[in-house]
Amino acid sequence: MAAASPVRRRIPNPAWSSSGLTESGTPSNSGYHYGQGEMAVSGNAQGGVNSASHASTSTSVVATTATQQYAGYAHYPSATTSYGYSNTQYQSYYYGYQQPDNDSSSQQVGANQNSGAAYQPLSSFQNSAGSYVHPSSYLGTYYNTGDHQTTAGYENSNYNYQNNWWNNGNCGSYPLHVYPSYTSSDTNSTQSSSAVSTNSLPYQQQYNQWPYYYSQSAPIVSCAPGTENTSITIGCSVEGGSGGYPYPSNQPPPPGTTSWRKDAGSSGLPSLQEKKDVTAHHSNGSGGIGAPTFQNHHVNQMPLYFQKPTDLTPLPHENREDQQKLLYSQSPVLSLSSTNQLPENSLSPSQGIPISETRRLSKLQIPTNPRIASNLGMPKTDKESSITNGALKPAYISVSVPKPNIKSSSQDDAEAIIKVTFPPSLRAYVERTFGRCKDDAQRSANQKIMKEIITKASADGTLFTRNWDIEPLFPLPNASLDMVEQKRTKSRWEPVAEENLMDKQPSLTSDSVKVASWDHFEGTGRAADSKKYESKEGGCNGVRLFSSPQQTPLSKFGQRPVKKPRFGDFPNATENGDGSSDSDKEQDLTKYYASAIALANSPEEKRRREHRSKRFEKIQGNKAESKGYGPNIAGAGSIYTRRASAMMLAKNYEDGYSRAVEDIDWDALTVKGTCQEIEKRYLRLTSAPDPATVRTEEVLEKALQMVQTSQKNYFYKCDQLKSIRQDLTVQRIRNVLTVKVYETHARLALEAGDLPEFNQCQSQLKRLYAEGIEGCHMEFSAYNLLCAILHSNSKRDLLSSMTRLSNEAKDDEAVKHALAVRSTVLSGNYVQFFRLYKAAPNLNTCLMDLFVEKMRFEAVKCMSKSYRPTVPVAYVARVLGFARAVSSENSEDKCKDGLVECEEWLRAHGAILTIDNNGELQLDSKASSSSLYIPEPEDAVAHGDASLAVDDFLTRAL
Amino acid sequence: MALHLSMGEAHRRITEYLARFSDAVFSQDGSALNPLLAVSSNSPYLLSLADALNVFQDSSRLVNQTDKYSLLGEILLPHFRCLQSFRIGRFVDAYVAFEKAANAFLLEFRNWETGWAMEAMHTVALEIRVLAERADRELALSGKNPEKLQGAGSFLMRVFGALAGKGPKRVGALYVTCQLFKIYFKLGTVHLCRSVIRSIETARIFDFEEFPVRDKVTYMYYTGRLEVFNENFLAADQKLMYALMHCNPRSEANMRMILKYLIPVKLSIGILPKMGLLEKYNLLEYKDVINALKMGDLRLLRRALQQHEDQFLKSGVYLVLEKLELQVYQRLVKKIYIIQKQKDPSRAHQMKLEVIAKALAWLEMDMDVDEVECIMSILIYKNLIKGYFAHKSKVVVLSKQDPFPRLNGKPVNS
Repeated sequence: MAAASPVRRRIPNPAWSSSGLTESGTPSNSGYHYGQGEMAVSGNAQGGVNSASHASTSTSVVATTATQQYAGYAHYPSATTSYGYSNTQYQSYYYGYQQPDNDSSSQQVGANQNSGAAYQPLSSFQNSAGSYVHPSSYLGTYYNTGDHQTTAGYENSNYNYQNNWWNNGNCGSYPLHVYPSYTSSDTNSTQSSSAVSTNSLPYQQQYNQWPYYYSQSAPIVSCAPGTENTSITIGCSVEGGSGGYPYPSNQPPPPGTTSWRKDAGSSGLPSLQEKKDVTAHHSNGSGGIGAPTFQNHHVNQMPLYFQKPTDLTPLPHENREDQQKLLYSQSPVLSLSSTNQLPENSLSPSQGIPISETRRLSKLQIPTNPRIASNLGMPKTDKESSITNGALKPAYISVSVPKPNIKSSSQDDAEAIIKVTFPPSLRAYVERTFGRCKDDAQRSANQKIMKEIITKASADGTLFTRNWDIEPLFPLPNASLDMVEQKRTKSRWEPVAEENLMDKQPSLTSDSVKVASWDHFEGTGRAADSKKYESKEGGCNGVRLFSSPQQTPLSKFGQRPVKKPRFGDFPNATENGDGSSDSDKEQDLTKYYASAIALANSPEEKRRREHRSKRFEKIQGNKAESKGYGPNIAGAGSIYTRRASAMMLAKNYEDGYSRAVEDIDWDALTVKGTCQEIEKRYLRLTSAPDPATVRTEEVLEKALQMVQTSQKNYFYKCDQLKSIRQDLTVQRIRNVLTVKVYETHARLALEAGDLPEFNQCQSQLKRLYAEGIEGCHMEFSAYNLLCAILHSNSKRDLLSSMTRLSNEAKDDEAVKHALAVRSTVLSGNYVQFFRLYKAAPNLNTCLMDLFVEKMRFEAVKCMSKSYRPTVPVAYVARVLGFARAVSSENSEDKCKDGLVECEEWLRAHGAILTIDNNGELQLDSKASSSSLYIPEPEDAVAHGDASLAVDDFLTRAL
Repeated sequence: MALHLSMGEAHRRITEYLARFSDAVFSQDGSALNPLLAVSSNSPYLLSLADALNVFQDSSRLVNQTDKYSLLGEILLPHFRCLQSFRIGRFVDAYVAFEKAANAFLLEFRNWETGWAMEAMHTVALEIRVLAERADRELALSGKNPEKLQGAGSFLMRVFGALAGKGPKRVGALYVTCQLFKIYFKLGTVHLCRSVIRSIETARIFDFEEFPVRDKVTYMYYTGRLEVFNENFLAADQKLMYALMHCNPRSEANMRMILKYLIPVKLSIGILPKMGLLEKYNLLEYKDVINALKMGDLRLLRRALQQHEDQFLKSGVYLVLEKLELQVYQRLVKKIYIIQKQKDPSRAHQMKLEVIAKALAWLEMDMDVDEVECIMSILIYKNLIKGYFAHKSKVVVLSKQDPFPRLNGKPVNS
């Protein structure tokens, strides 16, 4: 993995660096806000300016970004509040920085990562202490995170929030400085300088006030990135000081709440993007561990930023998210989840701008997702995935630029006012509902329903009191909403990358639709905006993916603070998994983006999109996503904590040799599935199972029924049954259902002649029956006996399986039959054998088929030696079971058929046939006795096992 | 009693044991060392030592105090723990401790040039098997996976490796092999015997006659049983006969064990034992089988098999006995032939199928003509009857010369 990571990082870099260079190169940057180049890149400009710039620069991405930078910059200083924001950002940024510590620690811990909550804080703390010297001021935040993890959600989150806030106001500034500076230094010298200046500007004052903090911050920086960074940091601080001064002066007083929010939004955006840049840098310059942290930064920053301007209530949410991140920062999945949560943040703030921001955020993240997705399949590759994320970020920077512009321009003015009147949670809810829509019809229907709901809510006065976050989504008229869910469950198991692609793309489209719809709903949407939006959509698909899936989890956060983090992780993770296929496509994002803009509105593209969405609809299952999670999530949460503790125990035990493996509480490690999908393809697990893709017992029962009633071929059924078995195994479900599944599979395998699979099932069934679980024990004892006769060279196996038979078993019809077959086979009594063959109960016939050839040959050999002078072929055919029906002696046809078959068989085996005086076909026994042979089987294959020849097997299974 | 043991007395007993142990080792006195290791022998000496150890907890100090003892500490300390656990009936703990001691002892044993400690090594091999069996019983009772015997097996394989060399220790290898056989037969993993057998029978360092007789008998007994499983009756006969001939005739239990397998083998090659033998060794379960063979009474054979089914299945001779059916058929046909001959000697060699079917029906065997025909054909095919079958007339035509050949020490033709 270590070897792979550098390569990954390198790939994205070129793209990034190119963009960075262009940025710096643009005259506009140098002229106006030299330092802020970075900010500007990410930056979203506000309405007027942005739109203008867009129109002009639409052709080249780089140019656009440059202009945007300008705009963003100008706005940045606007208000004092914005200043505060920036602080918060930084703070959050700092916060994020700590997370890296967590990450590294968690990775080191290894097994403990997954489990979790309780364990994590400790480890992270220790690590941080060891590797990074944290100043006392930091500790405040740091500890908070720890508290969060250990304790339950709400209170902690609040607490956290306060701390953060405090930090933001006072000392948040300095950490910010440090980070941007060093990151930038890694990549481009010019950029770094610019970044530094940007960062420093807002903070300079505070910086001065808190020298103590600052000094402390320095060591941190040096520790984290590496030796290079330290020097960089120094440079940064200096530059920042110089660059920073101009900023504050620019700030105009806040005109009003709306405007103020806007400013905040704008200012926030640049900062966010800055961070992105930083992250990108990090990924480039620093080791694999660094990358994941950066992602976390992003996430953290966003929430904080939003919340500050508004009320405290949103904050808890954010904090929780932070918690989540801290807890789960270890794995790529975690980081993703945090990213996903950004949309939530948008919900909480009351401002109009935040929404746009969220979207932007999501977009930003999008590029990363595909990458992550690829990694998701193998959760264990934390480092790798994280690295990838980091690497990808540069790409998304360019993507992100256009989005914010659109949003801000369209929504800022009109929307802000309107939206203020609604609680943020409601807005989030609305967005969620629209997120499900995939076409215009759905959207309009959705809009209607939404209106009704809102009017009703305002009529009975629950508009502001209701918890919209947990409000269930109403069923959509044409409900094809489940796609998210479907995707989620499918993603992991989809072995074919292409399929993933298909899944993902439709979702993207739908999201874009959603955005558009949102605009409509607000009434502010404009044609131009929507267009732009669409054009972007091509480039920044990732955003879409997130928005819809996230919402469900988010809504539940309010209810179950503790479990929420867990919950959030998984859907997101899976979500990301979908995008994996995209990663390749988007590797060179700049290029892709440019082309996407050009293509976006072309009829070709539209058609393709339509096609995709249609295909998706076909794929969908029928479950509403909201249903699926509820109960399971709760279970999952608790199980996680249990797992965590068990893992910890396990780990501890490793140290002391006296503890045996059996002392580990394996029950606590057992996965509890949450998946509601009935169908699931089998894929051999290469890592710990993900509960989100593991079906619950009830669903598995349905799945079994589905397989039993299915008309599809054996291959399909085998695949399905294997996945059912896997889900049962990982959940350690061993009950009647398990037995049923194995029995069903064993029977199907027998019918299809798939002995290896049958043996697997049989050996499992043996164990299950031994545990006393009810089933068709007798039937399978009979199969077991027949198998023992077939396979054992030594008679010991047969003896032992006979020894195991109970008296009760010996009275069973099937077992009796098998025992009789055994004795006929051993004694060579072919007459009796073929009688038993025709009267076999259950599927004994299928196993007996395996003896038939041998028995017949032995019989003919025997006959040719003992009979003189001839044996009528008719007799042979009758005795050796060629005439199928026993009673067929009456029906001439069947007798004839058997006769012909027998004749062919005899000739094929070298028998010599003559016709006697009566015209009856006879077997000349004396002549045949020396000429009999076993012909080479026609379907023989080189590897000796015809059942392994896939083609042949396929045709038979069909 | 242990409670009343004084500290001083306990100390005395332990130090005495330590002295005896180290004396035996340093004077290379195998027979003195032997009883000191026999944990499961329940010798009063070891029991009192165990009591002393349970009173005097700090035995490790005693061992480590003296250089002479501390050299053997690797063996002695776990051995003490084993004795303690064994005394209080904790066999799993006893086994775990003994395995440690045994490993340490094996290490030392490798370094000893001569085979003076062979006896002690054999004691260790025996003890580890016995303790493992007890530990597994304890584990099974508590619902855990009994795996200690398997562990003992792998330890004994290492012991075997240590013995299978050119030195004087090689004569001890067969004993360990036999202990391994016991474990593998008990575990039902007889296929593991093959590698050991191969090295015993093919390696040049081993001269089979060189081994002690008791080991040779045991070895032949087990390998003979293996041949029974594989239905190699001639080889089984040879090995089991060797075991029987060399077995101490006074150890009747061992004789019986050998005969239990030898009799079915002999039956299947056509040699019937005298009833006195069955009675002497209390092997009467074979009585009806033998009678059935003598009388050609298929019903009796089936009844005998059914009656002792569990027993025969457990010992693994069921399938062998079942194969005797053909001989019973042969006997039956022969009887019919004799009767026919008495009636009409000229046509005695032509035997109508319906006559045979009637005889079988009289024996309450539910068979139709097709099946009887099949059996006749098999008898001819297997060379139990000389002659041929005329399908058209449904007659068995017997050879005029020796129509029912005897097996004469050869198994039924297959």
